[in-house]
Amino acid sequence: MAKIGVFTCWCGENIARNVDVEAVSEAISKLPGVACSMDYKYMCSEPGQSLIASKIKELGLTGVVVASCSPHMHLNTFRKTVELAGVNPYLVEMANIREQCSWVHTDKEVATAKAIELIGMAVAKVRRNAALEPIKVPVTKRAMVIGAGVAGIQAALDLAAGGVEVILVEREPSVGGKMAGLSETFPTLDCSQCILTPRMVEVGQHPNIELLTYSEVEKVDGYVGNFKVTVRKKARYVDIAKCTGCGSCWNKCPKKVPNAFDYGLGNRTAIYIPFPQAVPARPVIDADNCLRLQSMKKGKELCGICLKQCGTDAINFHDKDELVEYEVGAVIVATGYKLYQITKEQENPKLQGYGEYGYGKYKDVIDSLQFERIISASGPTGGEPKRPSDGMTPKTVVFIQCTGSRDNAKGITYCSKICCMYTAKHTMLFKHKVHDGEAHVFYMDIRSGGKMYDEFVRRAIEQDDAQYHRGRVSKIEEVMVDGVKKCRCYGADTLTGKPCVVDADMVVLANAMLPSSGVTSLAQKLSVGYDGYGFLSESHPKLRPVETNAAGVFVCGACQGPKDIPETVAQATAAAGKALIMLSQPYLTREPEIATVDERLCAACGACVKACPYNAISIEEICDRKGNLVKMTSRVNPGLCMGCGTCVAVCPSKSVDLIGFTDDQVYAQLESLLD
Amino acid sequence: MENELRNAIRELLEKQEIDVAIGYGRVGVDGAVGAVFVTSPDDVEQIVWNDECRQNLAVHLTRPEVKAFGKIGIVVKPCDARAVVVLANEAQVDLDLLTIIGVVCSGIKRAKPDGTTADEYYAKCETCVQHTPQNVTLVVGDVAEGEALDAKNEQNAATAGNNAKLAKLRAMTVEERFAYWREQFSRCVRCYACRQSCPMCYCNRCVADKNRPTRIDTSASLKGNFAWNILRAFHLAGRCVGCGACASACPAGIELDLLNLTVSDAAKEHFGFVAGTEFGVDPLIGTYADDDKEEFIR
Repeated sequence: MAKIGVFTCWCGENIARNVDVEAVSEAISKLPGVACSMDYKYMCSEPGQSLIASKIKELGLTGVVVASCSPHMHLNTFRKTVELAGVNPYLVEMANIREQCSWVHTDKEVATAKAIELIGMAVAKVRRNAALEPIKVPVTKRAMVIGAGVAGIQAALDLAAGGVEVILVEREPSVGGKMAGLSETFPTLDCSQCILTPRMVEVGQHPNIELLTYSEVEKVDGYVGNFKVTVRKKARYVDIAKCTGCGSCWNKCPKKVPNAFDYGLGNRTAIYIPFPQAVPARPVIDADNCLRLQSMKKGKELCGICLKQCGTDAINFHDKDELVEYEVGAVIVATGYKLYQITKEQENPKLQGYGEYGYGKYKDVIDSLQFERIISASGPTGGEPKRPSDGMTPKTVVFIQCTGSRDNAKGITYCSKICCMYTAKHTMLFKHKVHDGEAHVFYMDIRSGGKMYDEFVRRAIEQDDAQYHRGRVSKIEEVMVDGVKKCRCYGADTLTGKPCVVDADMVVLANAMLPSSGVTSLAQKLSVGYDGYGFLSESHPKLRPVETNAAGVFVCGACQGPKDIPETVAQATAAAGKALIMLSQPYLTREPEIATVDERLCAACGACVKACPYNAISIEEICDRKGNLVKMTSRVNPGLCMGCGTCVAVCPSKSVDLIGFTDDQVYAQLESLLD
Repeated sequence: MENELRNAIRELLEKQEIDVAIGYGRVGVDGAVGAVFVTSPDDVEQIVWNDECRQNLAVHLTRPEVKAFGKIGIVVKPCDARAVVVLANEAQVDLDLLTIIGVVCSGIKRAKPDGTTADEYYAKCETCVQHTPQNVTLVVGDVAEGEALDAKNEQNAATAGNNAKLAKLRAMTVEERFAYWREQFSRCVRCYACRQSCPMCYCNRCVADKNRPTRIDTSASLKGNFAWNILRAFHLAGRCVGCGACASACPAGIELDLLNLTVSDAAKEHFGFVAGTEFGVDPLIGTYADDDKEEFIR
């Protein structure tokens, strides 16, 4: 016979203000199977928990209902309480009479009646609860990091230092990401390459790190602790084991194309390394532009100069993409960002574009990453500030912040967070190189929270004389002034209330940050959620910032939201730490609330297999002892199932049920409402 | 044509390409046409083909006792052939063990309430555009000119031939339609003949027979009848091929085919999906695509 204990919480005044807790407790005590019904001011406090434990011991309760706040808040608290008192933790149910009752109703009478019904439902359910044991699954002590920018590099190095094998996957030919292309970094103005390249070299050499550049994740199978990730190693046409990186091939290659690493400002050859400090410092052939590979498609063999130049026989024009499967226990996603391309034509139809700025039309209107290359010592101009159209040293530069960001009308609502700081940095770097230059900044607000950040912006304004105008630029047009091409910026200064027109030699746009392309398809492969812009969703914004809702998959860096380098590195270390904690367990325990198939009744129609978002269900054979096929059935992999219940919804014969939320329990809850 | 069919089956049995042939025969006490299971070439004379072959024989393919025969040859009309395709796509039949013998069909006649045959074709046959079965191993009968053997065309649609009836239903107001179905379902006696005759109802234990908890009201009341018939229609969404076996099996004469076709029609209208026209197609319900037209689901 069921002996249910019901413990109703006042939550101080939170519940008691709108719910007559004593009346509720009295009404519930009359329900069948309820052995005791108590109320207390703070059930989650030590005396509250002791009350539950003492009643369990005194009355030998077979189930416990705690009527209080959301189970998100305290389910684990009360599970521990009853477990310590000797009752299986899955024999606790919570009735949420705070968020779903007292907080949302003003009429005390109505709220009290509703609280009684909510608790009655929980009592009906807990009578049918079963004692459950957590599921144990083994762990592969190896991790994969996807993306080798500063976030991925940091995460990989931390994991490797923790003694875990790391597979570091990068789709570009070199590690380094966006940071490798930056000039100097705020707020210290230390050179980006100087701090990053030693780390790049380290990931290339670390015995625990297997580096896969020019590779992409193709497919993800398996589950937490036991992922099987298929990686496509793209054809490089250069055997990096044979190649010594001497450079004779790329020095002689006749085909020149814009270098994506310089955002099209400089050129590279068809066989190339993206930048001199690349890791691995081995070239790759760009098949779309290589004369030989293009001619081979037409059955000819043109050019081939690199082949003749190579002294180690490393060039292989017949190289092919290769698919390799890796078994890993955890995955860290660090795929970073790209800049919002503000031209009128948008990939994402929700974004409106900023055609009025002439980006892509006027050569001297550039984005912030292009400006980084222009002032970088390793950039196409060798660090000399020269404008793209005619190579003239710009004397007046206009910087426009919030291009795209914080603009509801044009599609992006969020603040890209780093632009205020790097724009201040840009004005300083420009002024340090062009002493008589003028730097004008159009801004909406200056957001410079962070250690030494506001001081940095003040320095740009007060010591380096950057001209800050609080207002937006409505239009840019190219004009000729005294025979010199200028970008005329029509802005406003809202502090003086006057229009502000500046004839600039060059305009730098602080374009919004967007997650890098392809992230949504990767997220779908990993079953990680993402927002409307494609930024990956963390499990909890405050308490689980690097975990995702896909167990064993962690996020760090700008793929999760706009952030600067210090924050990215901190998050990368956090993600590596979380992954290390997971991988250090002898086995993983998972919640037992998963789907289970009644294999006697399953018709193996496969509806659940196709509906399962976690690929947790497969069709299996049931054979007798002699190996003869008895029937087919679908079967749930307990390591993979997340307990979402989609399979239960699609099963036509209801041969699949969710443990802990069985149809029996749910129908009992509903029936209790109808009584 | 009957002889042609018998010869084809005799040959298959003699060459041991099949272990059993499921065909039509006069099996009822009054000579009514039903299913016969022929395992010997000497018995092929039992097989008949005429305009009384109402059943959809595909219903037998999923029964374990039939599967136990081994290699199966099955006689199908063009509409029934679509049911075999759906069963294959739902992994209920092993195509390697199946020989699908399609017969060219010029229409099937209704049965009168006393079991004799009326001189009237089914409405679906009156307007049928697919007389040659598709997706079959072999075709028996004279293929009409212009009918391709394996083309996947729009006219394969499960709803073809029933458009007039659907149009009538659609023209009703919501109240009229509800009143119409209330009258229809009021006659249901919950004999489950619809379930027994339908090839798609192959579950080992139907949800209607489960009682812990009871999902739907099992009484033959109006409430229980609505629950059952609508549940079955939902389970046939994107699966019903419009063979009409349910309606012809229903002793109460409920227009079940029409009910199920409304759902098929919705599948076609909203998703361009027609059940049973192609092997290897994922079922409509429960299938997830990365490029789904609804953004919220991606």
